[in-house]
Amino acid sequence: MRIFQSWRFPANWTIFRLDDRLLLILVAIIVGSCSGLASVVLNRSLMLMFDWFHHLRHYWWIFVLPAIGAALSSLFLEKIVKEGAGHGVPEVIYSVSRYGGLLRFRSSFSRLISSALTIGSGGSAGPEAPVVISGAAIGSNIAKYFSLNDRQRVTLVGCGAAGAISSIFNAPIAGMVFAIEVIIGEWKSVNIVPIAIASVAGTEISRILQGNQIPFSHRLFNISHMDILACVGLAVLTAVASILLTRLLRSMDKIAKKLPAPLWIRAAIGGCAVGLIGLFLPEVLGKGYHVVQTTIEGAFSQGLVIVGVATIAKIVATALTLGWGGSGGIFAPCLVIGCLAGLTYHHGLALLWPSVTWVNQGCFALLGMAGLISGMLQAPLTGIFLIVEITGGYEVILPLIIVSAITTSLCHYIEPAAYYMKELVDYGHLLRPGTDARVLSDLNVSELVEKDCIAVTQNMLLRDFINIVKKSHRNYFPVENEETGHFMGIIHLDDIRQYLFNPVMYDTVFLGQIMNTKVEVIDPDDDLADVIRKMDANRLFSMPVVVNNRFIGLISKGHLLDQYRRELMVQTSQSI
Amino acid sequence: MKITIHEVAQYLNLHVSTVERWIRQGRIPIQKTGNGYLFNESALKKWAALYRLPFLIPEKVKSRGYEEKLENLLAAMKRGGVVYDIKGDDVETALKSAVENMPVLSKTSKKELYQLLLERERLTSTGIGKGVAIPHPRDPLSDALKSPIISTCFLEKPIDFGAVDDRPVFVMFILLSQSIKIHLHLLSRFSFCARDNSFVEFLKTSPDEASFFAKIADFEKQLDRAET
Amino acid sequence: MNHQLLHIFRNSSLGRETLLQSIYFSKQTKVSPVIYIPKSNKFLMYFENDVVQIDLDNSYLMFPDTALEHATELLEQAGVEPRFLDPKHYTASTLPDIHTNFDYMSCPRSIVDLSSKIGLGYIGPRVRRIVKSAQFPVLITSPVYKKWESIAVFFGGSVNAFNALKLGFRICRISGMPLDVFTLLENKSQESYEKLIKEENLETEMSHYVNNWHFLKNRTLEENLYDVPHNALVVLGAYGHHLLKDIVFGSKMEKIQSTISNNLLIVGPNYTAAI
Repeated sequence: MRIFQSWRFPANWTIFRLDDRLLLILVAIIVGSCSGLASVVLNRSLMLMFDWFHHLRHYWWIFVLPAIGAALSSLFLEKIVKEGAGHGVPEVIYSVSRYGGLLRFRSSFSRLISSALTIGSGGSAGPEAPVVISGAAIGSNIAKYFSLNDRQRVTLVGCGAAGAISSIFNAPIAGMVFAIEVIIGEWKSVNIVPIAIASVAGTEISRILQGNQIPFSHRLFNISHMDILACVGLAVLTAVASILLTRLLRSMDKIAKKLPAPLWIRAAIGGCAVGLIGLFLPEVLGKGYHVVQTTIEGAFSQGLVIVGVATIAKIVATALTLGWGGSGGIFAPCLVIGCLAGLTYHHGLALLWPSVTWVNQGCFALLGMAGLISGMLQAPLTGIFLIVEITGGYEVILPLIIVSAITTSLCHYIEPAAYYMKELVDYGHLLRPGTDARVLSDLNVSELVEKDCIAVTQNMLLRDFINIVKKSHRNYFPVENEETGHFMGIIHLDDIRQYLFNPVMYDTVFLGQIMNTKVEVIDPDDDLADVIRKMDANRLFSMPVVVNNRFIGLISKGHLLDQYRRELMVQTSQSI
Repeated sequence: MKITIHEVAQYLNLHVSTVERWIRQGRIPIQKTGNGYLFNESALKKWAALYRLPFLIPEKVKSRGYEEKLENLLAAMKRGGVVYDIKGDDVETALKSAVENMPVLSKTSKKELYQLLLERERLTSTGIGKGVAIPHPRDPLSDALKSPIISTCFLEKPIDFGAVDDRPVFVMFILLSQSIKIHLHLLSRFSFCARDNSFVEFLKTSPDEASFFAKIADFEKQLDRAET
Repeated sequence: MNHQLLHIFRNSSLGRETLLQSIYFSKQTKVSPVIYIPKSNKFLMYFENDVVQIDLDNSYLMFPDTALEHATELLEQAGVEPRFLDPKHYTASTLPDIHTNFDYMSCPRSIVDLSSKIGLGYIGPRVRRIVKSAQFPVLITSPVYKKWESIAVFFGGSVNAFNALKLGFRICRISGMPLDVFTLLENKSQESYEKLIKEENLETEMSHYVNNWHFLKNRTLEENLYDVPHNALVVLGAYGHHLLKDIVFGSKMEKIQSTISNNLLIVGPNYTAAI
């Protein structure tokens, strides 16, 4: 019985009195394995569904299949697990930013099922974002079970994401870099070590269950200097493609929202359109990794026009699937689009300068993938490491870095926020550790209120007030109604300075005549960022906090700076 | 020593809810266990030093607060005593005999005090009008007094003190204190009394000690009432 | 002081009963009610170590045009200044986040199911999650508006029971209503409970606030519960000494809530009371 009880309260185990880092590493192994397992499950179920539906491909009515899948997945999300749509990565970043990585338990499986329905039936989307949110939710819930604090929970959310990406691509470094660069946004050894361990655990699970295979193996490329020069052009092309994809996704979303129909009908319409495209260009369906594989092997033999059309078609299909309410991520479509874009570029080069011997088309496909990933995620390191790992080719690293860097900068120039972050940035939810926004969102009004103000009433004489001034430490005095205690206005010492040495005024002036009644007040629930904005706009140094017409205290910039600095010191110190 | 989370907040000069949030966010080495918190003080001190946060144990703060407690007129006056019929024809001689008659002080400090008082008189007269003077040194005495004293000296005959209203001075209050702050405090309280004309009239009658102290106690009460 | 009670408004006759109940509670305990009128049928509550998604049924979304008007009317009739909660942040851009630093929250017995289940004997799973995670006590209202004029605390000696007792003292102090303590004597003696109080140094409060300490000696709990006044606010801890603390509510609590129709104020494990 005692053992059972201690099992119910893991927070009391002696292991939690041990070193914080050791604890995190141990839990990270569990989290990494679980999220690795989740991604293997999704991968397997997708393969299974692909096998089921593969032999149906030649029927004409097959185009409704993606529609059914998308509708089912939308219904599942909406009615059964009652989660909002979307691919989930922004949700993870949001919760890491604002709520210490708290995620719902249902998120750990909901997206797996819905994305399996969407992608398995032929929708153009990727399984990576769903496994990321599943992994993250697993990490968060394990942290919850162990009653860990926010910092540890955030690290474990990162571990979950890292384990998931590592496992699905068999790419530990990419998983690690993704978790730190995109999810957590803070390079500190406290985070990096457990996340690295989780990546290893996730990868190991995937290797045990699926074998150690590199997803897109390829032949050796001989890269000449001309090719490196040509990369610049490719970077421009991939930047254009990623911006096109981003814009199209967003506009599709807007169009879909205007349609007065239930969500699942919208998803079905999108799926249907994808199915129709798929009738002519089957390459666009599903996650499309076979396209990537054939291209890298140099076996994709279509001409320039077909490849170009396929690129556009894939972009449109992805926008249709995700924008209209299907469930899935953009990782896999990015890889496919990048690959097709690289191929188009190669064909174009060969057409323009037929005399030059360019490196194999597979190499450009590879660079295109890196370009698109970097452009969409605006996370250059993730792009570089992912491509190196999933292709097992280190010799392309130089052009890879060039393409990644240029695409990221170009995309950043046109679209300042990455696809994942766009919504968060718009609503001010992207709060990276140690930034001004984060410090302000962590602090709240009730922590900063200074309560040692002396309240006065409006019928008080100036003489009595001066006696109060003598004893007070502050320059502000709230005026309250005698009977109700309601806040009426505020008096600053400056307001009475001119009467201070004029004894005639002492018994003739009531405070009600001097007080400022048009004061901006703060509610304790206000965001600090808004409070500061108000202060700056009105050039105030202090503002009263008022609830229910009652004066609570003052917020002053001096005290704010004091607290702000402490918060910043505690948040950004490198020593923990 | 067992300290509570409220005390931790106080030591760090933070709001309790800030400390609670830091615990939740894992920024401070305190663990939450069910209803209580778990931490040790030395680890917290170390942590505070690491982040360069102030960690003040409040005993020091408290003792300083005690030290600065301000005294009232009556106590100081009782310590200084009341002397009648001080001889002297001008400022110097009057001060000299007044200082001679002061209790408490040693011989050397009396000499020093006399010099300091003269120095102060040379700057401007301490006669505040209506026949009252408050001779005092500009800076506190070198052998610091433990507590302030005010000697009340009624003069044998009024003398010209160079007072602001040129009226001859008939009573001196020699005010000695160990710090400027206490000096100002007593001076402001005394000036409240001296502003009252009836008090000055009362002084002119050279009242005996008991009724004089009773009058001062009365004023003190008024002052305290005005302050609260 | 600024104490707040969160109330989720349902624009129906049942919702009116619960709102009236909340307003009555707020006035007695001197807290200000904060009303949330749901705009979508789900929202999230972020607690210290948990996030709870609350799925409301459609009755909460009925007649959105009149909801604000009705709630304002009820509040103004009671002379309370209407305050409404406007969620500032949204998870995944559609789910409103409701912050959780309130002092009380009022719930009907179930916030998910239809009115058929709102009767006695059933506390919905979401309400349970809220009680479990919340740092505030949860007011579970009686099915119809019922004024309470005394306070009854169930005290069984556990940590939660002590919190419930302290909360009872507090409400007693603020509202000035008589407070009775009920203890079920099962195998233990009366003295053992008195000893527990002594150990916690609550004797003075006990004698100061408590009107009567009833020791219930009848065989079954149901029989004992007849002694609880019908117009009392029942304050009790969610869990007692039971083993599976986190999974199910205490057996006493289940029985009590299914037997009596009083207003219940339930103290969860994360609540720490101050008198």
